[in-house]
Amino acid sequence: MSGRQSGASAGGTVDRDDPIGPVEFDVDAAQPLVFDGDDAAAADVATPPPPSPGRRWAVRGVVGGGVLLVLTALGFDVADLLARAFATSIALGTAAAVVTAGAAIGLVVLLADEVRSLARLRTMDRLRDVGALAMNSAGGRVGRDYAAAITGLYRDRGDVATALERWRGSVGDAHDDRELVMLIDRVVLADLDRRAEALVLRAARDAAIASMLSPAAVIDVAVMLWRTVRVIRQIAALYGVRPGYIGSVRLFRHMMGNLAVAGLAETGHHMAIEALGGTLAAAVSTKVGQALLNGLLTARIGIAAMHQCRPLAFNADNRPSLAGIRRALLTVPRDIL
Amino acid sequence: MSIIPSTDWALQTLEQWGERAGTLFQNRIRLGVTGLRRSGKTVFVTSVIDNLLRAGRLPFLDVIAEGRYQAARLEAHPRHDVPRFAFEQHLSALTGPVPAWPEPTRGLGQIRLLIRFQPHSPLRRRVQRQSTLVLDIVDYPGEWLLDLPLLTRDFATWSAETLALADRPPRAALAAPWRQALAAVSPTGPADETVMRQLADAYTDYLHACRRSEAGLTLLQPGRFIEPGDLAGAPLLVFCPLPPPAGEVLRPSLYATMAERFEAYKDAVVGRFFRDHFAGLDRQIVLVDLLGAMTRGSPAVSDTAVALTTALEAFRHGRGYWLERLIGVSRIDRVLFAATKADHLAVDQHDDLAHLLGGFVADARNAIRFAGASVETMAIAAVKSTVSVQSPHLGRTLSCVRGTPLGRTAPTVLYPGALPARLVPPYIDTGTVRFLDFQPPPGLGDDGRGLSHIRLDRALQFLLGDVLT
Ligand SMILES: Nc1nc2c(ncn2[C@@H]2O[C@H](COP(=O)(O)OP(=O)(O)OP(=O)(O)O)[C@@H](O)[C@H]2O)c(=O)[nH]1
Ligand SMILES: [Mg+2]
Repeated sequence: MSGRQSGASAGGTVDRDDPIGPVEFDVDAAQPLVFDGDDAAAADVATPPPPSPGRRWAVRGVVGGGVLLVLTALGFDVADLLARAFATSIALGTAAAVVTAGAAIGLVVLLADEVRSLARLRTMDRLRDVGALAMNSAGGRVGRDYAAAITGLYRDRGDVATALERWRGSVGDAHDDRELVMLIDRVVLADLDRRAEALVLRAARDAAIASMLSPAAVIDVAVMLWRTVRVIRQIAALYGVRPGYIGSVRLFRHMMGNLAVAGLAETGHHMAIEALGGTLAAAVSTKVGQALLNGLLTARIGIAAMHQCRPLAFNADNRPSLAGIRRALLTVPRDIL
Repeated sequence: MSIIPSTDWALQTLEQWGERAGTLFQNRIRLGVTGLRRSGKTVFVTSVIDNLLRAGRLPFLDVIAEGRYQAARLEAHPRHDVPRFAFEQHLSALTGPVPAWPEPTRGLGQIRLLIRFQPHSPLRRRVQRQSTLVLDIVDYPGEWLLDLPLLTRDFATWSAETLALADRPPRAALAAPWRQALAAVSPTGPADETVMRQLADAYTDYLHACRRSEAGLTLLQPGRFIEPGDLAGAPLLVFCPLPPPAGEVLRPSLYATMAERFEAYKDAVVGRFFRDHFAGLDRQIVLVDLLGAMTRGSPAVSDTAVALTTALEAFRHGRGYWLERLIGVSRIDRVLFAATKADHLAVDQHDDLAHLLGGFVADARNAIRFAGASVETMAIAAVKSTVSVQSPHLGRTLSCVRGTPLGRTAPTVLYPGALPARLVPPYIDTGTVRFLDFQPPPGLGDDGRGLSHIRLDRALQFLLGDVLT
């Protein structure tokens, strides 16, 4: 049956080997096939994956142990400090205690946030897997779970509300898994994609203009780095990842992998040609060329971030392309000069 | 020779060429809705038009999803000699206080829809702020489709085929009165008008009996014998298949006269119908009521297979060339095979239905692909009259449909059974599936977004998506 699972077995309902003949049922016993399990299903899909094998635990042990040791040492120091403060005066002691408590609470909140952000990042990976699964199945359940997870993910987002509303208006009980995912893709995610592409374009322009105007190469690199990190975080937040610091580092690492995998990292030479078109390259000063290259690199990283943060893999039709950004970038020198 | 007719002729030619050149640049699509009787043509056309007019329920049509769709409007068809498709009447029947399906179609009906949209490419948008697509659709009785295979057959071949078919069950019993009448006359005998009319009447009765029979036979030729349209009683319809004559056939004999009428029928009725409404098609949807055929049993399934395959042979498929269009020839370059009434099954089984149809029409599909046209298979419902629900049964959850069956007043929940994996003739019905015909749902189209459907938007995207860019 041409690669796709048969609907009956995909839904876990009926096997061909054990046919149930035609049956009529009581109308009241039937349950509608809707997304009423929104939260439950979302939680189901969004739970973190099961713990990974030994090696990673060893690494975690080492890191965790180190952190624990440092914390213990810090604890002794703080206790010492507090004791001395109280010895000096009650007022000083109380003040120190309050400050310490504040710092501790802040640290815990920060850490919790980091942990949650990491979980969100992993959720995206899982969502992408579930989405791919649903695209290849023909029942009605996987797609419904996936759709519920996505609506759960963007539930509190005012800027996605209209798209979600539109999606709710167009989805029905007769859409199969594939169509449910395609609808999410076309109605909800397409909107985010457009905004993400605008962000990437803006970052690329900024990087290009900054390096065109900057007097020193060091400033170039600094601006580009800053702009790149910023656009990654913006894109992540747009798709609902909201990365923390550790999360950002992780994202960056994933993305570098993605750059290579997607074949995006090409030679500088090729990029220069791409940016300017062979003959033109010679005509424009190296400074401008370099600036455009920087812009293009920023754009590439931004696009890689889109791949990394989107809860559904791009398909051949909606994959973001560098071409449009390249065209927009080429107008930059004209705008500036 | 005076100069006037020749300028007349020149003007006419010029006009014709101008019109053709016009169609080359204007987006005009003639969509052929092909289907045997009761396959759902009329409901499909009604739903397509209503949904395009309201554009509220077509998320998979790119032009709408991308926000480029402006509006659509019905327009009078420039050909005034063909009746208009009674869209409003069918729509109000479906959406009325007592929803009802349209009556079986008795004659031709054509309709033209103008669709305004913004072009997709920025370049074209600069030249042309908005484009217009002219969509022409013709509806007709499904019986007439079966006339198309006659075009490639002569009287002797057709007679032999029809007589052989009538010898096999379940037709043999129904054919008995006509075969008796046939046995009483000699094909080489005189062409007596009364005798011929008796024979034709007996044959028509036989066709009607086939249509009415439990087996639900669809391979009934000629189509006008059952649905005469405006030809009722015309001498063109006074013939029937005859066994091969024993001796030499003399001109005024029964056989010769009937053969002449057969040829006249082919030429004046079938040929004209084909030239007027099928020769210039650009896109085609083949509606197949697979579920209905399965319910009626094995003879209906094999009848449907033969009828569809032979009817499709008449169409010109392939990739059209602009030069061909200029000289007024066109080819069908996209064909969609659609299993209709998918709402008789829960969503879980739609894919199975599409695969079943794919296997069922595999030969025709290959032939069309070979000719160069693109082909797709889908399970659709032009008017969705059920809701997919789940019911517990023996410790499992079954996906069922809920709707009100025709002839009942209360809704029911039905699990129709698992579809067979293949449907190749001779298909043997094992009673593992049963489908119910449902009434159109109450309150259909009340939300003003267009009739609710299943996958009509994906069907339209395949058929028209590329011209709506
Ligand atoms: N449930 C359901 N039933 C349908 C649908 N479309 C058609 N039907 C059923 O099929 C019957 C025939 O539909 P029509 O559209 O009249 O069929 P047709 O091809 O125009 O038939 P002829 O005019 O006789 O050639 C209807 O009376 C309905 O019972 C559909 O989308 N869903
Ligand atoms: Mg009809």
